[in-house]
Amino acid sequence: MKVLLVDDSGTMRTIQKRCLNKLGVEDVVEAEDGRQALEKFSAAKFDVVLSDWNMPVMDGLSLLKEIRQLNQEIPVIIITTEAERARVVAAIQSGVSDYLVKPFTPDGLREKLEKWVGCQV
Amino acid sequence: MLTAPSLHADLTAEFVNPILVSTRTVFQTMLECTPRRSGLFIKESMIPRYEISAMIGITGKAAGTIVLSLSRRAALEILNRLVGVKADEIDRDVCDAVGEVTNMIAGQAKSQMEHLEASLSIPSIVSGVDHTIYFPSNVQPICILFDSEIGPFAIEVGFTEMHDPGL
Repeated sequence: MKVLLVDDSGTMRTIQKRCLNKLGVEDVVEAEDGRQALEKFSAAKFDVVLSDWNMPVMDGLSLLKEIRQLNQEIPVIIITTEAERARVVAAIQSGVSDYLVKPFTPDGLREKLEKWVGCQV
Repeated sequence: MLTAPSLHADLTAEFVNPILVSTRTVFQTMLECTPRRSGLFIKESMIPRYEISAMIGITGKAAGTIVLSLSRRAALEILNRLVGVKADEIDRDVCDAVGEVTNMIAGQAKSQMEHLEASLSIPSIVSGVDHTIYFPSNVQPICILFDSEIGPFAIEVGFTEMHDPGL
């Protein structure tokens, strides 16, 4: 499984990468914002995108919209502190596959990956 | 009839329970420690309780600031517990880790108060003994004290109502 991991916080990327490694996912490409993520997304094939919402340069929702122009099928999971109904609705309308609210547990991330990537991790 | 300062104090007080809940959730889930509330008071001093302050602004139907005030030891331990890195000084990694914890606390608290339709700023970190934080003059901040396995810490919060210019 190849994962594109997008978060402006190095701490959060480290935490999520460690969770992914524990789940046996080693192929993780990191990006610090939406624009960097879009460049990496265009240059390689990924199985899933995990993205923060609030980021400088290009936020997660803008990234999601750009990705949906290129690929309607890839699972995009937004991982964010923003859990309000209006934010969730905006993400769904923009084509998000799923939503994981911070703080999250490794089990929470595993459940999302199993649901969307369709294999045991 | 309520006076303007007491209205703002009430608004600030509305945030206390959501912040208590979100602080407990974030510390338990991300840091594997259980904070216990050890005090709560209306803040008069502009000097935060501890030497490191992580601040997040909230704007919407109410505007204000949430400050996570940490000792140096607690800040270093947050980085260690989050990513397993032991730091000796308050560096970029420590600030990033402290900022993320503050972001999660503020985000969780905000999601419990959807009626405010609020947005969060990116966290800012200030470090130094006796630094000062100025809340707006019409805001009466509240300080919540906690004890925890990583040491004592405090959350300071102050809010004021935003007036709709169209009304």
